[in-house]
Amino acid sequence: MIGDVFGWLTDSAHWSSTPFDVGIVDQLLNHLRYCAIAVVIALVIALPIGLVIGHTGRAAWLVSGVNAVRALPTVGVLVLLVVIIAPHFYGRTDAGYLIPTEIVLVLLAIPPIMSNTYAGVQNVDPAARDAAFGMGMTERQVLTRVELPMALPLVFSGLRSATLQVIATATIASYVTLGGLGRFIYDGLAQQDYPQMISGGLLVAVLALVTDLVLALVQRLVVSRGVSGRFRSGGRGGRRISDLADSRTAVLEEQRAADAA
Amino acid sequence: MRTKLVALGAVAVTMTAILSGCGNDSGSDTGTSGGGGTIASHLIMGGPPEFKTRTDGIPGLKKVYGVEFGKYTVTDVGGPVTVNALKRGQVDAADLFTTDPTIKANGFVVLQDDKHLFAAQNVVPIIAKDKNTPAVTSIINGVQAKLTTEAISGMLDQVYNDKADPADVAAKWLSDEGLDTTGTSAKGVSLTVGSANFPENVVLGEIYAQALSAQGADITTKLNIGSREKYFPALEQGSLDLFPEYNGTLLSYLDQSATATTTDEVDAALAKALPSNLEALEPAEAQDSDAIVVAKETADKYHLTTIGDLANSAG
Repeated sequence: MIGDVFGWLTDSAHWSSTPFDVGIVDQLLNHLRYCAIAVVIALVIALPIGLVIGHTGRAAWLVSGVNAVRALPTVGVLVLLVVIIAPHFYGRTDAGYLIPTEIVLVLLAIPPIMSNTYAGVQNVDPAARDAAFGMGMTERQVLTRVELPMALPLVFSGLRSATLQVIATATIASYVTLGGLGRFIYDGLAQQDYPQMISGGLLVAVLALVTDLVLALVQRLVVSRGVSGRFRSGGRGGRRISDLADSRTAVLEEQRAADAA
Repeated sequence: MRTKLVALGAVAVTMTAILSGCGNDSGSDTGTSGGGGTIASHLIMGGPPEFKTRTDGIPGLKKVYGVEFGKYTVTDVGGPVTVNALKRGQVDAADLFTTDPTIKANGFVVLQDDKHLFAAQNVVPIIAKDKNTPAVTSIINGVQAKLTTEAISGMLDQVYNDKADPADVAAKWLSDEGLDTTGTSAKGVSLTVGSANFPENVVLGEIYAQALSAQGADITTKLNIGSREKYFPALEQGSLDLFPEYNGTLLSYLDQSATATTTDEVDAALAKALPSNLEALEPAEAQDSDAIVVAKETADKYHLTTIGDLANSAG
């Protein structure tokens, strides 16, 4: 069976598209498209709300309520929404099926982002927050200049978790005439073509892993060094600072290295 | 820091916008610009996933009729997604079943299969030989004689649209056709009647069960079992005795190399392919076969009556 799966994946006919069979490349792009739209919309909705709730500490019940949405059966809600929404669209358009799919994926992506953002902001070092207020920053300045940067590791963790879930679940789009990598899984099962089905599953897993790696790289770039504790010592004979060093030690070490240079 | 975040956000949104533009969902777009080519090449077809590779699916359409659609969209197995897509114009032709009540309800046009691409799918009762008696045969064949495609379609209409119980629908049909006369001709017979897990088959199972109980038989029903892979072994081994089947699909399940297409050919081949402990009773006129269905507007626009008409030039 593994040999068959490998054979299916290396068959070049499966990578390009015909009028009847969409190839792997196009389905990958479709899958990414559905996921990207959902994650971007979820970010736009959940990130500001999570930040505000975390900063003010009020309406924490909203976060618990949103967490309950995680329990939604995605396929059930998808079919229900398609039955309601699809009949309103006429002609050769995917919108009647794309909108319900995106709604379901956004509902899936919001809870991780919102609860992690809330937790991130709540767990900011109180000393830093006090210092910021002491310096005369307004509420909004404290939120955007102090709390958000310090909460970024947790926010990213929520974003990565949401993206992973959305990529894995976007396979349900194939249940309602759309494309995406789920098409290989669904068609493979119906045609009893198990190499195709397993290949589809493998492709989804690989896509999820690669996307997580990319997001980890982005996290490396965006999160301030003071928060993550990653420092490179400058100067000659550079001594490597341990990754666990806190920001104060790191600044002192850098100064020491600079003085020694 | 802020510029980094803003830059990231811009990249993410741009990527999403680009992705939304490229990539396509089900194969290349059909050429709607300009005439020329066959009618089918301007149309999109919708149907189940296995239709793409089935011998009587896309390959069969090309081989037998020379029909090649512009694009194929996987919808579902003759269900609500397919019907909705056909009704709303997301697909122009669809693969539905001949007994589907939505065909009549929406004024869809069934294109005639004059070259017998789709094998016959007459309703045929399969019964265990050792449980069969002359009385049972005569009762069931009496039912089969009155079973037409329109009758089944009408019963399904009640199940889907009026939300009627299959048992009640079966009882009503039997009494309308005068097949529910009580008697004792089947007294002493004890049978288990099974059915697959779709409404049409459940209604048929109920019809057989009620017709036999009216004549004194002791009937147990095991309805809604599942697909053929699940119930046929039970039928072979004897835990089920009577089952409403379809001659065409049963034949290809038993003999994958079968090529019979007309009712007579399929019945003859089926008689040979059935295991020795089972036999087929009289096949009904009613057929639940695949049909290529188009909306009335499409049929009128391109003057379509048979599947072969789709291969005509569109110019």
